Amino acid sequence: VNNPRTIQDRLALVGYRNQSRSNPKAHILVDTEICNTRCPHRATHFVCPARCYTIDEQNHVHFQFEDCIECGACLHACDQGAVTWRFPDPEEGRGVTWRMG
Amino acid sequence: LDRFDCIIVGGGVAGLSAALTLARAGATFLLVERGEFCGAKNVSGGVLWGRDLARLVPDYWNDDQAGFERFVRHRRLTFMDGDAAFSLDFKSEGFGEPPYMGVTVLRSKFDNWLAGHVEEAIAEQGTDSFIATGVLVDELLREGGRVTGIRAGEETFEADCVILAEGVNNLLTRQVGLQNAFVPPDYVAVGVKEVIRFDRTVLQDRFQLDERSGMSNEFVGYASGGLEGGGFLYTNRESVSVGLVLALTDLRDKQRTPYDVLAEFKAHPVLRDMLRGGETIEYSGHVVGTGDMRLMPREVYMDGLMVAGEAAGLILNNGKAIRGMDFAVRSGIMAAETALQAKDRKDFTAAGLSRYRKDLDETIIRDIRDGQAAVHLLHGPDMFHTVPAIACDFGREFFAISDKPPKKAAAIVSESIRRHSSYWDMARLGWKAWRGL
Repeated sequence: VNNPRTIQDRLALVGYRNQSRSNPKAHILVDTEICNTRCPHRATHFVCPARCYTIDEQNHVHFQFEDCIECGACLHACDQGAVTWRFPDPEEGRGVTWRMG
Repeated sequence: LDRFDCIIVGGGVAGLSAALTLARAGATFLLVERGEFCGAKNVSGGVLWGRDLARLVPDYWNDDQAGFERFVRHRRLTFMDGDAAFSLDFKSEGFGEPPYMGVTVLRSKFDNWLAGHVEEAIAEQGTDSFIATGVLVDELLREGGRVTGIRAGEETFEADCVILAEGVNNLLTRQVGLQNAFVPPDYVAVGVKEVIRFDRTVLQDRFQLDERSGMSNEFVGYASGGLEGGGFLYTNRESVSVGLVLALTDLRDKQRTPYDVLAEFKAHPVLRDMLRGGETIEYSGHVVGTGDMRLMPREVYMDGLMVAGEAAGLILNNGKAIRGMDFAVRSGIMAAETALQAKDRKDFTAAGLSRYRKDLDETIIRDIRDGQAAVHLLHGPDMFHTVPAIACDFGREFFAISDKPPKKAAAIVSESIRRHSSYWDMARLGWKAWRGL
């Protein structure tokens, strides 16, 4: 019986495109300099359902697009201009393919 | 052939509804979908409420292969605290007769099924219309102020008009200036859900369903960790969809993550008992409008362009259900009908397409406007903290049998109100609810 306990367990159930591609093209760019120097709330870390935005022990924000499910939460949550948001390129990008949806 | 009567951006419910309407009328169109297939990128809670699906595919319930999961015959609204659940529960035979008032869907399958209907209609009419998947539209082509087509990578396609059905993350709608480039988080929420598989007979026995009937259960209170939002559980054919819709601003301000709140929700005794033995087969998430009208673009049409579905902010949340997919169906049909009329009149200017806005104003937008009082009622903490706490306190006293002398219901209610709130605040909330719901 599969009962996911962590976000990593949950993300392991998501089907992504181009999983074998070694260097998929990033579709979202985050200027973490802005997150780390002047963002008062770091909303993206809290709203992202795929944990693409993490905060390390030095309190620095890190972003990875590989787990992104293209939900749009960070597109709306970042009001500091740090997030450049596009849909992944169907050929060269990553991105999700829902089996259930 | 690179010129069409119409180009549709997005193969979700709105885009496919527009496409099916155009295909049946024999118009030529190109529908562009960025996913591997129609539905590949789409997520919903998922109930398609209302009767709009029957407008698109009449008698769809007679088709055993139809892409929906179950029709909703049984509805339940549950107020929760950490220990208890107090429900309003309604089941009706009438809900179990076509045309159904709601069907549960899993979008990957459902949208793909609709796309099959579109392909069939194209073949029947023998028109040069196409569904192109795996294609991302980079920008809209414009001449002067008029939209004339699309560019996808190196390729361009032209049409008399474009229907944008690109969903809530409506980058192209923003690109042409119908909406600001930055849409603030205040009017959107993020939905997260798990699809949990069960043996079909176990599912039907546990939720008291027959072969095709289903239930929808919405949850308020502890479900959302006290955050603005709510929970849901919908039965599919061989699975349940269980999840949450949470306001972005509240996640930010209370520093919670949606997956942590979801894990707590699933661990609540009521959910634990309903989900026992199930196997999670997919985790998903997507942004959805809260139902606040301020999410809508400043206009939904311009020269050579119409915007349909959630790209146009067509979401209604009146406390009874979050509706969007039915509006996607209806706005898609309306946009296509407007395009067909414009084709007859050879007028694809904004004036020629203005009927689309008029049709929306008289139907969907009217309903959304009427629902704004409920949206504001559902915005405050009272609905997510106080009301569930009072309901569960009442239940614990009222339904308990003990050695103590039994209290009258009225006494229990007034004690619970005093514990969690005040008469004045509850009277105010009651008045808002009376007007809003």
